[in-house]
Amino acid sequence: MLRDYLPVLLQIIVAVGFAASALIVSVLLGKAGRRTPIKDSPYECGMVPIGEAQPRFSVRFYLIAMLFILFDLEIVFMYPWAVVYRDMIHGHPVVFWSMLSFVSMLMIGYVYALRKGVLDWRN
Amino acid sequence: MTTLGDYLTVSGILFAVGFSGVLLRRNVIIIFMALELMLNAANLSLVAFSRFRLGEDGLPSYNAQVLVFFIITVAAAEVAVGLAIIVALYRARRTTHVEDINSLKF
Amino acid sequence: MISAPYLEVAVLVLGTVILLIESFFSKFDRRYLGYAALVGLALIFLATFFIAPQSTMSSAPFWNFYSADATSLFFKRIALATTAGVIVMMFDFAALVSSGVQGATPQSGLGEFFALPLFTCAGLMWMASAIDFVLIFVSLELVTISFYVLVGFTRRNPASLEAAVKYLVLSAVATGFLVYGITWIFGATGETNLQKIATVLSGTGLEQNAALFGGVLVIIALGFKIAAVPFHIWVADVYQGAPTPVTAYLSVGSKAAGFIVLLRVLDPFLILPQMQTLLVAIAVLTLIYGNLAALPQTNVKRLLAYSSIAHAGYLLVAVVSFSGRAVAFYLVAYLLMTLLSFAVLILVSQPAGDQLESFAGLSQRSPFLAFAMLVAMASLAGVPFTAGFLGKFLVFDAAIATHHFGLVVVAIVTVGAGFYYYFKVVRAIYWDAPPASTDKIIVSPLTRVALIALIAGTFVLGVYPQPIFDALAR
Repeated sequence: MLRDYLPVLLQIIVAVGFAASALIVSVLLGKAGRRTPIKDSPYECGMVPIGEAQPRFSVRFYLIAMLFILFDLEIVFMYPWAVVYRDMIHGHPVVFWSMLSFVSMLMIGYVYALRKGVLDWRN
Repeated sequence: MTTLGDYLTVSGILFAVGFSGVLLRRNVIIIFMALELMLNAANLSLVAFSRFRLGEDGLPSYNAQVLVFFIITVAAAEVAVGLAIIVALYRARRTTHVEDINSLKF
Repeated sequence: MISAPYLEVAVLVLGTVILLIESFFSKFDRRYLGYAALVGLALIFLATFFIAPQSTMSSAPFWNFYSADATSLFFKRIALATTAGVIVMMFDFAALVSSGVQGATPQSGLGEFFALPLFTCAGLMWMASAIDFVLIFVSLELVTISFYVLVGFTRRNPASLEAAVKYLVLSAVATGFLVYGITWIFGATGETNLQKIATVLSGTGLEQNAALFGGVLVIIALGFKIAAVPFHIWVADVYQGAPTPVTAYLSVGSKAAGFIVLLRVLDPFLILPQMQTLLVAIAVLTLIYGNLAALPQTNVKRLLAYSSIAHAGYLLVAVVSFSGRAVAFYLVAYLLMTLLSFAVLILVSQPAGDQLESFAGLSQRSPFLAFAMLVAMASLAGVPFTAGFLGKFLVFDAAIATHHFGLVVVAIVTVGAGFYYYFKVVRAIYWDAPPASTDKIIVSPLTRVALIALIAGTFVLGVYPQPIFDALAR
């Protein structure tokens, strides 16, 4: 059982060993270069960069991302529901109505977000 | 063969990493990621317990797995609200570092 | 007859309708939404009296999660009454909600401000009925997440945002502990239902250490919610930074729900003796720290925050003595006096701030508010013939009956410390000279009615507590 993982172990050893030896060799052989402001600039022989390194995003991206996470994850409840639905729907109509109420709650949240202009990109 | 103990060890390590991240890191966003790690540690051990404790009928206990779904969705809601608060804080104070959050005396 | 689960559904629908009206119609006075919420809550409160408590569990799987016994109905009423009181306070606070937001009208954000407490209320009501860890977790999170939003609601006020971030991080840690604790309890017992856990725990051949570990983690998480030492570090800052009605809500609603969950969770764990020792230690620490830390405070909101920690200590004494009756009565008394003091605080602090100086000479500026604050402080301190006194009396009585004499001695000594800092507020109101340029404080009719009801309640329950016991025993 454990022998099956021997190749994996070997690969890990090789990967770590290569990374470590590369670092060690570069320290041993490499020369610490002289640092000047020009050498430290992002593009040594290119354009002089303008502005901040991290460009600012519109806050709308965050809003959309948050809403996406929320609505995306609610799907998770539908998987177990879908698995048992066919067996339970006979004699247990509550299976249908509970999911309908759940989806309608999500719908209300979506409508609220829509009315508040969260998905409106024009302004 | 991986045993229940292995899963619990990994989950314990994850929880410890998450909790120490909350205590040691200084950026609110990183703290938030550490918090997620704590919740996921719990998820891992819940699924492991559910998988290894079979009932009389040979089926795992699905209560725990459903609880995992709830934890995942609640964590998502928490992240959404939390990020909104952090973005608002950044707009007001231009910082996400906990040392700078000091206008209330501690 | 109405079935108990419809109460939460009704509160939830009320909140959703308010939210939708707020988003679909723009030109109307948002205060009507607040009135609608109040009327709705009052109707639901009345409806609770038409529900027969069910002690026997029906076979439907739903009742494995949800109990509708007399205790849970009682705590649902506490949640509804608190929420109504908070919404009344929100009317007085409305002017400050959107201050500092660019391009905001005085009305913007008010609709959500009135709707969010309703969602919190639904969560508190579910917590009162939860007898399964799944429902406990989900309802606790519903409460916590809506509190995140409420604490940071005045989003151009840095103090409010900082309070929100602190509350967010610390309560998320508590959530992590809660979930991890539930995991271990599940691992040890194979169940998430509290009654089934109790059966398994009383049996033999159990991995007791795993269950104990899980139980301790859950207690830590609930300690955060009820603000017990040493899990209290968020309390003072969050209470000070949050909008004042939200502070009142945090201090009453969150605490009441935390205590009912604590009572229910501890029920199966009684069998493990280590749990009792742990709780006694927490209670002693909470009593001493809360009362001593309140002594030097000059900010009334922070003073009330530490006093709320101290009251968590008295409630924990009742929990340790396993007297559900004392916990319930103390919580009602605490509700009355805390809402009263925060309602006065909102009115007084609007022009002048939360410092103790702004209370100076209140008796000349508004004798009515001064009297209301006097009653609140007397009841919080435990002066006889107020609800607060009777609450403390019941707690000590229960503790003596279960032979926790050391705990009672600590509690009585700390009551003495309490008298000092509550009296500080009273002294400022009646003896200090008012600042030169102050005018009378106007109290709106709605607030006046609410204040009179709270004062009357404090006195009536102080001499005639029987209605509370009747409601619990039904």
